[in-house]
Amino acid sequence: MKADTSQFPELNKTKFEQRGTEFKLGIPITNAVTVGNSIAVGFGDGTVRIFTSGESSEPIKAHKGIVLCMSKDGDNILTGGDDGRFLNISLDGKISEIGNFGTRWVDHVTANNGSLVCSSGNIVYLWSPNHKEPKLFEHNSTIGGIAFDTKGRRLAVSRYGGVTLWKKDYSNKWNSSELNWKGSHNKVIFSPDGKYLVTSMQENQLHFWRLKDKIDSAMSGYGAKIKSFAFVDDSKYLATSGAKEAVCWPFDGDGPVGREPICLPYVGNKLVTFVEPFPNENAILTGLSDGSVFLSEIEKASNTIIIRSFTEFEVSAIAVTKDCSHLLIGDMGGNILWTSIWDEEKK
Amino acid sequence: MEETNKQVPVTVLTGFLGAGKTTLLNRILTEQHGKKYAVIVNEFGEQGIDNDLVVDADEEVFEMNNGCICCTVRGDLIRILSGLMKRADKLDAIIVETTGLADPAPVAQTFFVDQDVADRTKLDAIVTVADAVHLSTQLTDHHEAEEQIAFADVVLLNKIDLVDESGLEVVKERIKKINPFAKVINTTKCGVSLNEILNLDAFSLKRVLDVEPDFLTSDHDHEHDDDVTSLSFVSDTPLDMEKFQDWFSKLLQTKGQDILRTKGILDFTGESDRYVFQGVHMLMDASPMGKWPEGKERSSRLVFIGRNLESMNLKEGFENCKSA
Repeated sequence: MKADTSQFPELNKTKFEQRGTEFKLGIPITNAVTVGNSIAVGFGDGTVRIFTSGESSEPIKAHKGIVLCMSKDGDNILTGGDDGRFLNISLDGKISEIGNFGTRWVDHVTANNGSLVCSSGNIVYLWSPNHKEPKLFEHNSTIGGIAFDTKGRRLAVSRYGGVTLWKKDYSNKWNSSELNWKGSHNKVIFSPDGKYLVTSMQENQLHFWRLKDKIDSAMSGYGAKIKSFAFVDDSKYLATSGAKEAVCWPFDGDGPVGREPICLPYVGNKLVTFVEPFPNENAILTGLSDGSVFLSEIEKASNTIIIRSFTEFEVSAIAVTKDCSHLLIGDMGGNILWTSIWDEEKK
Repeated sequence: MEETNKQVPVTVLTGFLGAGKTTLLNRILTEQHGKKYAVIVNEFGEQGIDNDLVVDADEEVFEMNNGCICCTVRGDLIRILSGLMKRADKLDAIIVETTGLADPAPVAQTFFVDQDVADRTKLDAIVTVADAVHLSTQLTDHHEAEEQIAFADVVLLNKIDLVDESGLEVVKERIKKINPFAKVINTTKCGVSLNEILNLDAFSLKRVLDVEPDFLTSDHDHEHDDDVTSLSFVSDTPLDMEKFQDWFSKLLQTKGQDILRTKGILDFTGESDRYVFQGVHMLMDASPMGKWPEGKERSSRLVFIGRNLESMNLKEGFENCKSA
């Protein structure tokens, strides 16, 4: 016996969907980035929208075609697009152009303490604070990803054949060293404690380097390319997409070598396409290929709750505001859920 | 079926230096066709192609660590195609220009190897622009020119106004010897209707069914060992599936570097469906394609385009697959 819930459509919705606002925009969501208590979202039509509690979000026409990548610099949003532009957008929608590369895409952007960085083709461009002209770092192939460490003294650039690690010495000169591993490396991140560097590869695997002794190893066994991964709870776990479970590798102690990951299963047997750490908790938000999103405690899989039911489109963005009051979910079908995390009345 | 409709067709445009690729690209971009195309260029010429959807990229051939020794893909294509699939408006087609000296295999292999690319786009056809005046010399001097002809679904034989009739026949003969399946279109200044080169669906398994082995009589006596040639085989006796798989997988594993393209329709003993496959080097796309048509003779047809084919004992290997 099963109750016929079609007469009561709200019963199929999670409490977050009932409480929050759903937008059916029909434009693929490419990125979302937290800027204080706002969340900026990039779209496949070149627009950016900013979501802030109690305010409406109007589209800002930033790029001609696609917002390929996003990051933030303090209270400003950085975007790169397929129109070759590297932009700075303020929370009130003011756009200023940092760089323009014409028919070459701006594939990656990042920033640290006012230093603005983007990559286009095989070159990384770095604008130091108060400098008009960028410094150029050339590489042997198109760049797969860029990342600053927390302090901004090291810049990792992933590429074909490994990672180039740029280090700023105390005279502010950048020197490079190479971390090589055969194959094409895409996204790259530092662990928040600065001890590890992790890349995702063209093959269905990740690679990591322990920076103090350059020990490196692969993390494999995935059924699909790993598009999304992030460190959780400072640097205790690395949560990853690319399997039907959220695979969380232990990075505390001596790291993941010889240790098993924790695999968090989800109903529906769908591919995990996005993982986002829940701030200050040992927990992750997991987005699946059918649009559903769950919140799980890594060490207590039974503490999993559903945030959003399915939309049929793969989850491509999840972000939580800095004060942990709101979260935003976006998918490739152009659906957004913007909701408060806590029940307002109980708060 | 619905899935196929969502895949954006990708046409690969190859051709030796100076054959007329840029002329063709300019035509595609300036003609009033009412369609939305993206063009990925590698040799951004001074002719100044002016269109919103021109993407500038460097050809980057990546080796894959997938155990397939000759498996290379185009990293820049994976990046750009994945990006283009995030666009709000859907593209009618994507055209990839390759440089004059490029081997088309990594481009084709990209569509077999990368799941995201395979899910959202499909390789439509390889179109090779050839210079009627210089092709013969280029084929003799450069492996790449031979590969571009060998992989072609369509050859635009350009600048035909600059050769006489007998010269044209010689060039066409040369093309047919390398690749008897390519449709050869004679042009001057790449004057061809765009629907003859776009949306051909040449890489679909359905199109393999059109393969007609009408060149069995060609003799291969006078060729150099490393010339690209083609061979085809027909059998009215059904094949043993196990024997065939055994022979064919070993063949591709050991000779995959020399075998450029393969196509086949297979009649297996005890199977009511036709089996169809097509491959690029060691990579293969294969599937049953429904029942054999009523009242028509069942037969297996197999085609190879590659180098050193004579040394592979293909005829003997194929004969051994026949059911006893």
